[in-house]
Amino acid sequence: MADGRRVCNASVVYLLETIPIREIFIGLSIGSRLFLIALGLSLIFGVLGVLNFAHGALYMIGAFIGMSFTTELVGNFWIGLLAAGLTVGLIGVVIESGFIRRIYDRPKLDQLILTFAFIFVINELVLLTWGTGTKTTPTPQLLDFDVALLGASFTAYRVFLILLSGTVMITLWLVLQRTFVGRVVRATSTDRDMSALLGVNVPRVYTGVFFVGSALTGIGGALAAPIQGITPGIGNQVIIQAFIIVVIGGLGSFVGAFAGAMIIGLINSFGVLVIAGGDVFLPFLVMLLVLIFRPTGLFGGGS
Amino acid sequence: MSLRERTAESVASARTGWTKARILAITLAFLLVAPFVLPEFQVFVLIEVFVFVLFATSFNLLYGYTGLLSFGHALFYAGGAYGLAIFLRDIGPLLPAALGGVSPLVVFGFAGVAGVIAITLVAIPVGYLSVQLEEIYFAMITLAFGMGLYTVVLQNPGGLTNGSEGILVLLGSADVLGLTVQLGSRTTYYYFVLAVFLLSMYALWRIVVSPFGAVCKSIRENPERAEAIGINVTRHQWLTFILSAMFTAIAGILMAPHHNIVSPEMAYWETSAVAVVSAVLGGPSVFLGPAFGAIAFRYLRWIITRVPALEAHWELAFGILLIVVILFLNKGVSGGVYSFAGWLRRVELAYNSDGLEGVRNYIRESVQGKLSAMVSTTTRYLKGTRIEGN
Repeated sequence: MADGRRVCNASVVYLLETIPIREIFIGLSIGSRLFLIALGLSLIFGVLGVLNFAHGALYMIGAFIGMSFTTELVGNFWIGLLAAGLTVGLIGVVIESGFIRRIYDRPKLDQLILTFAFIFVINELVLLTWGTGTKTTPTPQLLDFDVALLGASFTAYRVFLILLSGTVMITLWLVLQRTFVGRVVRATSTDRDMSALLGVNVPRVYTGVFFVGSALTGIGGALAAPIQGITPGIGNQVIIQAFIIVVIGGLGSFVGAFAGAMIIGLINSFGVLVIAGGDVFLPFLVMLLVLIFRPTGLFGGGS
Repeated sequence: MSLRERTAESVASARTGWTKARILAITLAFLLVAPFVLPEFQVFVLIEVFVFVLFATSFNLLYGYTGLLSFGHALFYAGGAYGLAIFLRDIGPLLPAALGGVSPLVVFGFAGVAGVIAITLVAIPVGYLSVQLEEIYFAMITLAFGMGLYTVVLQNPGGLTNGSEGILVLLGSADVLGLTVQLGSRTTYYYFVLAVFLLSMYALWRIVVSPFGAVCKSIRENPERAEAIGINVTRHQWLTFILSAMFTAIAGILMAPHHNIVSPEMAYWETSAVAVVSAVLGGPSVFLGPAFGAIAFRYLRWIITRVPALEAHWELAFGILLIVVILFLNKGVSGGVYSFAGWLRRVELAYNSDGLEGVRNYIRESVQGKLSAMVSTTTRYLKGTRIEGN
């Protein structure tokens, strides 16, 4: 009996030494960060039918605000996180109610180009406010320790990211499926005109969803601040990744956004090991494969 | 009516009134003598305008005429340019000098054709995959493809693309019929670009007014109905995609020797944005719409460079301009141009009937009417009503 356990332990240790736990873990934490952005994008598209091209730019605002709050203004990461979420959410509200709302009945492509135009505006405003240099943010003190897990040690911050994304996912799912608000949102995304006839204040629902979607991406940006250098170009990088994720996972599906984000996170983590520069073009390859074999995405077809 | 009959009719009408044909003829005449009339920098800008107009018009074949918004057209633009550059750099020196003094010209010709063929080959699978998806997904995947090329080029696979430094493209001189022609000289290149530009625009025009183009428009308006009357929508979109890619590649090929360098920025989505913005700005529903948009874009850009305060933040001005155009000017600049032309014609009518007094009255009325319309639109916007497309 003891022999069996010794064999078991030995094989577990062997497994842990060969499986690149560290890379998987880092991949999952990258994926968690990307998940928030992809989720916001998917949410806005699923309910409003608008593909928010400016989503990456909003992420960038969140990152800069988080960074500013942590390093310059208040010195507290968590306040910065909250501020980022709120501010970006409000900016989203302005974009939606001030501009997108005016052209709801126009073809979707016009709305697309409108959000695209916002990228230029936001990029420039960010440059004006924060300049062109790379900014770094220190890890928040609360999470600045290492966690020993499965034979390797990780920064607690990354563990936090993974746990957070899981929590957000579950919370959002619960809200949408089990609460009244969730039901209203689902109804509006299914049939806007019918919901309006039944008394739903559709513009307000839209604004609320846009707020949540933008806030999510702003928080994603602020969360990214401690692990990557922030430059005015990250908005452009992120939007491409977000697009690839939602194509892989399926637009409008939250499970898809989660799966897609994790896949891309893992590719980012492992890609460099497989082939030089792999983390950059492997995502495109995977997206291509998904498009060939399953054009609506892995979980496509609505949430 | 045959081509000859139509041309004769256009010429006849150009003699009599301010028709499109007359304006076209005047523009053409101006373009032919431009290098001798304009300062050298303006000729430089004009060549760029040709390229951008071609880029935007071939993009619009897909967007304005078929209803497919591609955010990654820089893929073909840069792809053509890189094809040209790589061919010139690697294969050019190998071609036998037995072709004599004309060899640089021939090599360039080969390189150009090679670039277009390469892009067509790329566009076939890319287009096939992309058209399977509906509008939003199409925009996303074309963007991803475009950025994919950017990252691949940046990675410098096998030393082919030279990464972020780009590849130099220099044109030598050739002996044509006993005359040494400096291919790289601004004037020579201007005429070369003008010739290719006019041929390409004419080809695009013929495509658009042909039955092929009519099918494109029907797909744009109502794909289900097109499918119902027997059109294979996906296949048609695919063919349009390939055609659009080919002409975009030509634009990129023309630009490469002009700037003397091809660099990864040509594949970045901001380059794709130039085509999108030009088409939207100019009005995608008209053939010359993107042309107007590209012209407006390039000269606006030039004007802004003269004002240092704006230049530092031109992206902001640009974004705002695009927003205003999308929200209020549904038909774009070209709509404005055509309405202005119509207005001029009415001024002429007023002159013919009432003389100078009539002209003054008409101008006053129309300007007042326009101003009050603008005011009411703005107040309606601020109050929050929806803006209909005009």
